[in-house]
Amino acid sequence: MIRSLSFVFFVLISIQALSQEKVTLNGYVRDVSNGEELIGVTVYIPQMKAGTMTNPYGFYSLTLPKGTYEVQFSYVGYSAQTVTVNLQGNTERNIDMLGESTMMQEVVVSDKRVDENVVQLQMSKNTLDMNRVRKLPALFGEVDIIKNIQMLPGVITAGEGTSSFYVRGGSADQNLILIDEAPIYDPSHLFGLFSVFNADVIKDSELYKGGIPARFGGRLSSILEVRTKDGNNKQLSGSAGIGTMASRLMIEGPIKKDKSSFIISARRSYVDLFLRAANNDNLVHFYDVNAKLNWRHNNNNRFFAAFYSGRDVFNFGDQFGFAWGNRTATFRWNHLFNDRLFSNTSVILSNFDYKLELKDPVQGFKWTSNLEELSVKNDLSYFINTNNDLTFGYHITGRRFSPGRISPNTEASMFKEINLQHMFAIDHALYISNQQRVSEKITLDYGLRLSIFQNVGSTDLYLYNDPQNNSRPVRTDTVHYGAWKNIKTYVNLEPRAAIRYMLADGQSLKASYNRMVQNTHLVAAGTVPVPFNTWNPSGYYLTPQLADQVALGYFRNLRDNTLEFSAEAYYKDMKNVTDFADNANIFFNQDLSTEFRQGKSWSYGLELMLNKKEGKLTGSVGYTWSKTMRKVPGVNGGMEFPANYDRRHVLNIQAAYDYSPRWTFGATFTYSTGRPVTVPTGKFEYENYHPDVITERNGYRLPVFHRLDLSATYSPKKNDNRRWKGSWVFSVYNAYNRQNPFTIYTRVTKNKDGDIIGDGYTKEARMIYLFPILPSVTYNIKF
Amino acid sequence: MKNILIVALFALALAACDKPIRLDLGQSTPRVIIEGQVTNRLGSQYVKVSRSSDFYQTGPSPRITNAIVTVKDSDGNEIMFEHNPRNYADSIGYYLPQTAFVGTIGKDYHLRVEVDGQVYEADDHLYSVTSIDSLAFRVDDDEKDDPKDYNKFYEVLLYAKEPQNTTDYYLFKFYRNDSLKVDDDNEIYYSNDEALGESIDGISSPVFFGPGDKATVEAYSLSRSGYVFYDDLQKLLNTDGGLFNQPPANSRTNLTNGAFGFFHASAVNSKTIVIVE
Repeated sequence: MIRSLSFVFFVLISIQALSQEKVTLNGYVRDVSNGEELIGVTVYIPQMKAGTMTNPYGFYSLTLPKGTYEVQFSYVGYSAQTVTVNLQGNTERNIDMLGESTMMQEVVVSDKRVDENVVQLQMSKNTLDMNRVRKLPALFGEVDIIKNIQMLPGVITAGEGTSSFYVRGGSADQNLILIDEAPIYDPSHLFGLFSVFNADVIKDSELYKGGIPARFGGRLSSILEVRTKDGNNKQLSGSAGIGTMASRLMIEGPIKKDKSSFIISARRSYVDLFLRAANNDNLVHFYDVNAKLNWRHNNNNRFFAAFYSGRDVFNFGDQFGFAWGNRTATFRWNHLFNDRLFSNTSVILSNFDYKLELKDPVQGFKWTSNLEELSVKNDLSYFINTNNDLTFGYHITGRRFSPGRISPNTEASMFKEINLQHMFAIDHALYISNQQRVSEKITLDYGLRLSIFQNVGSTDLYLYNDPQNNSRPVRTDTVHYGAWKNIKTYVNLEPRAAIRYMLADGQSLKASYNRMVQNTHLVAAGTVPVPFNTWNPSGYYLTPQLADQVALGYFRNLRDNTLEFSAEAYYKDMKNVTDFADNANIFFNQDLSTEFRQGKSWSYGLELMLNKKEGKLTGSVGYTWSKTMRKVPGVNGGMEFPANYDRRHVLNIQAAYDYSPRWTFGATFTYSTGRPVTVPTGKFEYENYHPDVITERNGYRLPVFHRLDLSATYSPKKNDNRRWKGSWVFSVYNAYNRQNPFTIYTRVTKNKDGDIIGDGYTKEARMIYLFPILPSVTYNIKF
Repeated sequence: MKNILIVALFALALAACDKPIRLDLGQSTPRVIIEGQVTNRLGSQYVKVSRSSDFYQTGPSPRITNAIVTVKDSDGNEIMFEHNPRNYADSIGYYLPQTAFVGTIGKDYHLRVEVDGQVYEADDHLYSVTSIDSLAFRVDDDEKDDPKDYNKFYEVLLYAKEPQNTTDYYLFKFYRNDSLKVDDDNEIYYSNDEALGESIDGISSPVFFGPGDKATVEAYSLSRSGYVFYDDLQKLLNTDGGLFNQPPANSRTNLTNGAFGFFHASAVNSKTIVIVE
């Protein structure tokens, strides 16, 4: 390992030595209307047949021999720009790009676009086009990026009304969900009906399903990176929306023009206000607040502070209630050491907590749980020359897991206070990766991530005579570890590699390999995680989960790059995936470690995607064929079984049509093989109960799922006397009122009042259907 | 507590509609089902032996009437059980002791059931159970507004002391005029003492009563394996199909040789109160 690292350094140093006669062109690329930095803008120099892309902070740097160059900047949804640069010394050139939505309708953009889908090295990545997302139908009219992520090829959903997603055979907890670099541990509002991401502030969201860059780690299956807007630094502006479920308000503007800006946004659901008006005392609401400050000290030093806070609150009368929420804070400092060395330093805080409370003089109790983390990251990009971009960095994260505390909340409560032990972990990651343009045809990326995970004290470690006996755990000893004392350390090397090979014009082949390691394990035994699940670090009883994934893809653009096609095949092999014993007790269990079972899982599939990005009609068609199995000793009798998120066929179609300046239409269609479920084969009698006999886990399939959603956006002609512009969004969810399966349960046959009918022995299976046809209206304004 | 959680989740899911569907199931292999109890109360010892049936089977499950059933305590006393000695039509499959006996706190009990040459065995320990100090009753306002059963809106309050120096597991049964009642047919009233303090001052019953009703509460002791069995059974009865909760699985049991069910030895304490307006 040491040898290969020093080899990499040797190569880098020699590359640098060769590039000394060159000069650097660098700068930031921004949206002209609001000063937002643009991420992933293609910067291309035709005469050199070389280029780069802006990094996650909108920065680019190209090192070239002295000379005069035509430099093309192109970005989806923006008109491409070509600038001529006479490069005699190191040059800084910031580019302002014009968004197509802000342009006059009549202007036709004729610049040939660079073929990003084909040319870029990164495969297995999807970027959501927020402009399109806003035109598409949304459940209750709430634009939701997770619901759009669920429509991507290679991504599976557990059904409607959930915010969890499953990437290439990975479970829901194997996705690292980041908002401005801070992890979100539960992305759901109302148990998944909506996600925590308020579309008003989302600038960009990207999902990495494979070929995951070395700067990311900590989860097996995917990285969902969501970035919020920096705030308009040109003028004060904002937007607001009134929907059927929630209302939103966003304001952004400069603090000091072109220097610093702010954005603040809030969203709140108001079902509870109706319920209160209707004298119903079951109150439910959620809210999100996003805020960001952004200060450009000079081109070499930029600072950001981003905050997010969101919460769900449920109250059932004055007796019972629960709540959960995420809070994150990110402080960032972008620094240019020199023209070619870009540094980002972030300090990130994240906290997830939930609480349950039963208010009763005797049965009253309060149950709280949380997970806190603090991390410091330093990521460096070194733009060595036009052929080599080096990234490297160091991340350190400390986590405190507080899985639960129950305390009485009244004098006369029958409960006493009990605490589950806190757990602590420190996580170091060091990575280095180089993107190298070997020839016109071949680009490589090779990198290595070293992760060192330590489960530390203070804690009391329980030892058992049989660590897997969950029926009657017998502790043989308790070992006390003091604060910061190492309990268990896991060191893992995670190689990452990718190659892109250009075929004839407009076509390429890509391949990638990544190893991922996951040291935080969600304690959830169902398909869809609930906010009341807790997390456990790797340690004495849990070993790190590992995934090796290879992917191969063919990329082709058609019709002057307006149509993108891709076909990707993957195979993913996962070891030590965390599962739980049959009948595991995962809530408030002091001997939780006896419920852990780890085993293997494997998944393979083929994903086809056709994407039309330009023109009046835009949209995509995605099809996925996949298979995911699990085999875990101690689960399902040790026999292999289909994972809860195994689906053979998934088809998703999204389309947006700009009919006129006034009207835009959107449609979404989804089709999926049914979810595997465990159904009874028999039944028996015990006392007065009629339990089922279970034989095989996930041996049955729910019926297929399919649904069509429609939307229409009406933008009335702007009244010149007003500063603001309004628009109406009408949407219909489940347009043909399909009864889609949600889940199945069984019971003794009853009538609709819940009274047992018949002989009292006969059982029935019942299917739950979630959403019938649901129309909704949202009114949005921009100012 | 867990139940509350599951109910809350389910309330959300059930905001939608549900309908019966026909599952396309094959035939299942019948299993021997044993339900047995020994308590420290005279006349409550029994063993029921039956078989599981196909899921869509109508009528009572097949009963086994030719089993050889014995219970032996840790002192070596063995009692033979006899199938339905009084020939009651509703007691087919039930075995009662040939000679009356009561269980003793602190003893182990061993059940042996032989069916067609196959032997199924189970062991359980008879733990003591705390006494119910007293019962009281009061009107439950929510239930008065919307009674499930006509006129039944009194809840019974239970007072007891939970011994703090022992690990205890409980099963509760509620009777209205000597007839066993549950609030919902899938509910089991059981508890461990992990989070319980010493004073239980008026925990309310899940079953409601009307004026003049006789309310009886029974508290049974359970062993750890008994608690695990009822906990698993409760999960199995209330599964949501593996969506938010884990996929359903068969209950763990103390029976050997692949039989389902449970054999428990329990101490019982009870109290009765008559509701007056």
